[in-house]
Amino acid sequence: MRQGTQTKWPAVVPIAMPLLVMLLFLSGKAAGQEEVASAARRYKAYEESTGYYEQFEVLPGRRQAVRRIPGVGQEPFAYSPTAALVRSRTHLADSHQSLKFYENLRCEYCHPDQARDLHTVRANLTCRQCHGGEPIASMDHYYSLMNPIRRHAYVCAKCHEGASASFASYVIHAPAAGSRLARQTFPVLYYAYWFMLALLVGTLAFFIPHSFLVGLRELLPPRTKEET
Amino acid sequence: MEPKRIRRFSPLDRMFHLALMLTFILQSATGFGRLFITTPWGQGLCRVFGGYDNALVVHQWVGVVMIWGFLAHIGFLLARIQWKRLPESVFGGDSLVPNAQDLKRFGQQVRWFLGKGGPPRHDRWTYWEKFDYWAVFWGMPLLAVTGLMLMHPIASSRYVEGWVLNVAALLHRAEAILAVTYIFVVHFFIGHLRPTSFPMNEAMFSGTVTLKHAVEEKPEWVARLEGEGRLHDAAAAPPASWYRTLYFIFGYLVLCTGIYLLASAIAYSRHIQLH
Repeated sequence: MRQGTQTKWPAVVPIAMPLLVMLLFLSGKAAGQEEVASAARRYKAYEESTGYYEQFEVLPGRRQAVRRIPGVGQEPFAYSPTAALVRSRTHLADSHQSLKFYENLRCEYCHPDQARDLHTVRANLTCRQCHGGEPIASMDHYYSLMNPIRRHAYVCAKCHEGASASFASYVIHAPAAGSRLARQTFPVLYYAYWFMLALLVGTLAFFIPHSFLVGLRELLPPRTKEET
Repeated sequence: MEPKRIRRFSPLDRMFHLALMLTFILQSATGFGRLFITTPWGQGLCRVFGGYDNALVVHQWVGVVMIWGFLAHIGFLLARIQWKRLPESVFGGDSLVPNAQDLKRFGQQVRWFLGKGGPPRHDRWTYWEKFDYWAVFWGMPLLAVTGLMLMHPIASSRYVEGWVLNVAALLHRAEAILAVTYIFVVHFFIGHLRPTSFPMNEAMFSGTVTLKHAVEEKPEWVARLEGEGRLHDAAAAPPASWYRTLYFIFGYLVLCTGIYLLASAIAYSRHIQLH
């Protein structure tokens, strides 16, 4: 064989190239396979999706983006005649317990902002499809479907096969990203929003006048010393 | 004798730009179609790609192509660096890396705006051309990472908390709007509408500029080529007339599509029902 006239590929190339191409087209592992597929992460994934470590129940991780419920228990005298602020409804078996005329109200009547997310506006889900029928238990009530211990398995996984507790910490009803509410409850989203907005406004505020002035000066060059 | 035309972009540069144009316009159309699906305009846009769900499939595949293209571009950058004369290669006049000269020329530019002194003597790349390049360069990985996360939410939530997907969705949309606005306003104005470019700056398509134009716009570049005795090597032939016709039609088609997309998006932005 003549040397130097022909480039010889290392043996790994003909093996690696088809593999790389296949990676593009092959589908991923099915969610059920994934459960114990990784030796290193096996128990974490198992705990996350079942809430159990061997036979022991484990606490869900503190993975909420929402830090606290704004307006509740913040003021030194958080009492009012209606007790609306004091009654945190996040632990009740029926979160709408004792609300007047509850039977005649639609969800959006009291929760208008909760009807503006992707699941409602784009996927056309109704509230009941996730929150269930009456009584709707509070999120933190121990037996609630929405409790972070089981939300991923009982609610999210109905559509999102393989949903983990981490996946379920996606905030469905995220507050409007630039709002004060977002600043209180989802600061990362709030600061990401204002950073990107500042970047947009800053870039355009610099480059639009800049481009305009370049165009203007090319049409009307500055007068030379002799002309003035 | 001095050449009439000199080369500005290599065929590979132009290929990257063309691929970026095509993928960018497709991503804008499919992305806006989905963002504005609650409006008649968005529905019409999605119908072009086969509906709301198919528009996402197109968006994802074009995104994957963009990611591979970006990786190829990084490889090409690394191959182009002349490692033996590293500082010169990275910070010299042929490099797109910003340097102290850009700051100085920006100062001269402001004085020129105010009528004090002539325009700065630009080298091969003006500072706004460098900004154009790096804006896209940093935008790509941000859009790629957030895009991949949104493509595979279950898998990515194994490595980050699920609420990071909220932030990823926001960043993806915000960066896309920033890129679209910048390209369809600033980049198009500089490339097509400003007096010295009008009706079209052909350098990115023909790959060449006339020496006269180069002396007016980038005197420092021509001087440097002359000083290094490379001006003759840079000589190039003018583009064929059929090719010129082709890229004029193509360029204006993309320009009009871009401006149409941006104008409609602004007009319909009040009707996005999302937060």
